[in-house]
Amino acid sequence: MQLAFYFDQTRCTGCYACAVACKDWHDVPAGPASWMRVTTIERGKYPHPFIAFACTPCYHCAQPACVPACPANAISKRGEDGIVVVDRDACLGKDKCQMCLEACPYRAPQFGDEADAKMQKCDFCIDRWAEGKPPICVAGCPMRALDAGPITKMESRYGKLHEAEGIRYHEGLRPSLVCKPRRQVYLASY
Amino acid sequence: MSDNEQVITTLCAPHCGGGCLLKVHVRDGVITRIETDDDTDNVQLRACLRGRAWRQRIYHPDRLKRPMKRVGPRGSGQFQPVSWDEALDTIAAELKRVVQTYGPAAIVHWVSGGDQAALHDGWRRMSRIFCMLGGYTRPWGLHSYEGGIFAELTCFGMGYTAHTRDDLLNSRLIIMWGWDPAATIQDTNTAWYLMQAKERGTRIISVDPRFTASTSAFAHHWIPIRPGTDAAALIAMANVMVMENLQDQAFLDRFTIGFDAFKDYILGKEDGVAKTPEWAEPITGMPAATIRRLAQEYAAARPAALIAGIGPGRTAYGEQYHRAAITLAAMTGNIGKSGGSCGGKSWGPHPLGKMGSGPKIPPNQVDDTVPDPPGKLPNRKYYIWGHGIINVFRLTDAIIRGKAGGYPADYKFLWISNANPLNQWPNTNKTVEAFNKLDFIVTEEHFMTPTARYADMVLPTTTFFERVDVTMSASCPVSYAYRRKIIEPIGESRAPLDFATDLARRLGFADYNDKTDEQWVDAILQESPLTDVAAFKRKGFHKIELTGPSVPFRAQIEDPKKNPFYTPSGKIEIYSRMIADLNLPNCPPIPKYIQPWEGRNDPLAEKYPLQLITTHTKRRAHTQFDNVPWLRELEPHAISISRADAAARGIRDGDKVRVFNDRGALIVPAKVVETIMPGVVDLPQGAWYNPDESGLDRGGCANVLSLDRPSPGGALPSNTALVQVEKA
Repeated sequence: MQLAFYFDQTRCTGCYACAVACKDWHDVPAGPASWMRVTTIERGKYPHPFIAFACTPCYHCAQPACVPACPANAISKRGEDGIVVVDRDACLGKDKCQMCLEACPYRAPQFGDEADAKMQKCDFCIDRWAEGKPPICVAGCPMRALDAGPITKMESRYGKLHEAEGIRYHEGLRPSLVCKPRRQVYLASY
Repeated sequence: MSDNEQVITTLCAPHCGGGCLLKVHVRDGVITRIETDDDTDNVQLRACLRGRAWRQRIYHPDRLKRPMKRVGPRGSGQFQPVSWDEALDTIAAELKRVVQTYGPAAIVHWVSGGDQAALHDGWRRMSRIFCMLGGYTRPWGLHSYEGGIFAELTCFGMGYTAHTRDDLLNSRLIIMWGWDPAATIQDTNTAWYLMQAKERGTRIISVDPRFTASTSAFAHHWIPIRPGTDAAALIAMANVMVMENLQDQAFLDRFTIGFDAFKDYILGKEDGVAKTPEWAEPITGMPAATIRRLAQEYAAARPAALIAGIGPGRTAYGEQYHRAAITLAAMTGNIGKSGGSCGGKSWGPHPLGKMGSGPKIPPNQVDDTVPDPPGKLPNRKYYIWGHGIINVFRLTDAIIRGKAGGYPADYKFLWISNANPLNQWPNTNKTVEAFNKLDFIVTEEHFMTPTARYADMVLPTTTFFERVDVTMSASCPVSYAYRRKIIEPIGESRAPLDFATDLARRLGFADYNDKTDEQWVDAILQESPLTDVAAFKRKGFHKIELTGPSVPFRAQIEDPKKNPFYTPSGKIEIYSRMIADLNLPNCPPIPKYIQPWEGRNDPLAEKYPLQLITTHTKRRAHTQFDNVPWLRELEPHAISISRADAAARGIRDGDKVRVFNDRGALIVPAKVVETIMPGVVDLPQGAWYNPDESGLDRGGCANVLSLDRPSPGGALPSNTALVQVEKA
């Protein structure tokens, strides 16, 4: 079984509730490490701008680039649910390594600003999942733009699109994400 | 979840108009995590980023832990901690001295919505003390939407005009006029209902100087408009409807008075200028064809909700915009109908939900016995923040000039509750001058805010996590929350009613508070629809089941004979005799476009060519949460400037710029965007004023640039200011 996120980009207002809820739940301090990142995609020219937001946690790829990239074998993919986890004790730390970050096109591996920070990242809220609860970002999204569950269920519920504005599907990695993209229409002048 | 961890439900309501459920994890007396609503039976009240960030606010290293007494010059930040006894003794002595020497009117209480609750709320408990002392000066008026209140009180005779947000699902067309609920919240589920409406096929059009997150997410069309010209666009739309005979004449005949006078104005019979789209185009920047099409679509789509945001009302003559919006809603017959909107202000208290108000407040001898000043609507005192003889926007000037300036008193003592007025009143440098004139300032705070730095005594208060209270949210669904004491107070901070009781005793009012907080909560809930208070307290929360939208004026429309409107005529007053009787300059009895001061045609625009608007950012609630690291890192504070205006000034994205006019100057980074109308710059209000030695504000407080001049109908023109921007 492979767990996956669903992201409805048409609903996302870039409100950051997911990002803050994640930092609170996982006790991640303010700073460079952010397990859930919300980025703003801006295109177009006045008076025809286009804005979309992309929610980027870890997509727990079917074939994660970070796992083979890690020289210390600190990153592994769980057989039972496909969650990609890091053993922070085994991680070599940002000063020595960062190979995982270089390998990941989504920049999901995160490092704090402390000396020789160990890698940390979205763990799909394993603790909550074990209690039958969705990840904290999903549970808290004020726009109900996120969902989570087995990828087959996400695909049957929401379709098979895996890309959105600011989120590319890498065939070689197969990120576990189902999307409803915001179409790149520029709001026409009335 | 470990065994010694508890999860306690409470309600967040920090001055955003929302009320969101928080599920607070506590272990060994410390809050460890916060979840939000996961109710599976009702519509959930999910918290925004601010609600999720409370932990860093509660445990912020800068939380005030002891009373602080000023020992250096005002604004210097030089304070020394003192005991509560010393703080309250000092305050009591000052209060007595001021009352004896100058009379009770010399005491001013300023309270805002920073900490909304029944028991520890700022207004009730302090008002009681001051009234027991013989009264005090309380300003009337609201910064947020006084222009909207003026319009509603004159058109409808009352100010409770908002449909519950679930009614957005019944609209065929929604016009978001200067309305960005994705950032401002304004009821917990506003954005969620808008999204559902969009997904059901409702057309949504956004009229706004900015292409906002709300525009991006909800709107099918964006129509940029110059700030302060909204009334002109709406009036031109009315002209189109009349010229093309699109108005709902039966509705107008039956439910309104004064349409003919308005018609004469828009057709040019009054002043020889027909208010056509071609007339409005150079004023508003909206193409005439766009105005025409918008008028046609609004008239044709029924029901349609014109949601008039309160931002455009915070302009010079902002009340005209609100009156024009209501007039259009009447012309399209959308008032009192599900899926429609009466065109009133986009937000305000709902009359839904009910609970008691605690102990009775004695009459205020300073203003209860004095007639309202000229220029104030006779029915204003019956609506929120309506009592008083000093207009809120005149308060700074009143403190500076006092009796010599024609004001009723000399003002000496200022008590501030739940507010950061030095930052949030318009014209910060003038507010500094006013604060420096006062004998004594007390503020209740969590932090050493810009206001606190000018206070003589700063009292550390608890957050709602640290005390018992009860509160109500007018969100959709309306809900009640018992706010349990979840953790012990931080440092020596105290619950407001607790130290107020101590102060009252020092002033000789031993009977000020004869109940415990729990007993007060029970008493307050006696007057609520909650039948089982004990069960409610156990659960901590109660949602009133949604039984369909609440639609104001439905009764008036369905049976007008039995249910007249609350106006003198019993009808919707497009022409208002009440306004005519006020006899104010530039405040006509029918809605009109009046060229604003500091608009782009003001001669001052040669020196200061950019129109400044001061909007809301999602990472603050006004000034609250500005110091929370989890929120600060999300978006830097910056002034948004169009690419064209930036290029003309050699400004690149991220450059530090100096923003200035005759009232002040500040330094802030520039954000160069395609999402704002050229000629307009946006500096979100609420950043903390932080002047350097030369008086240049390094904090980027927007009110350094705003003007403390109220509009004749009371609107605060915080979105009317001309500035120049240059590379710093």
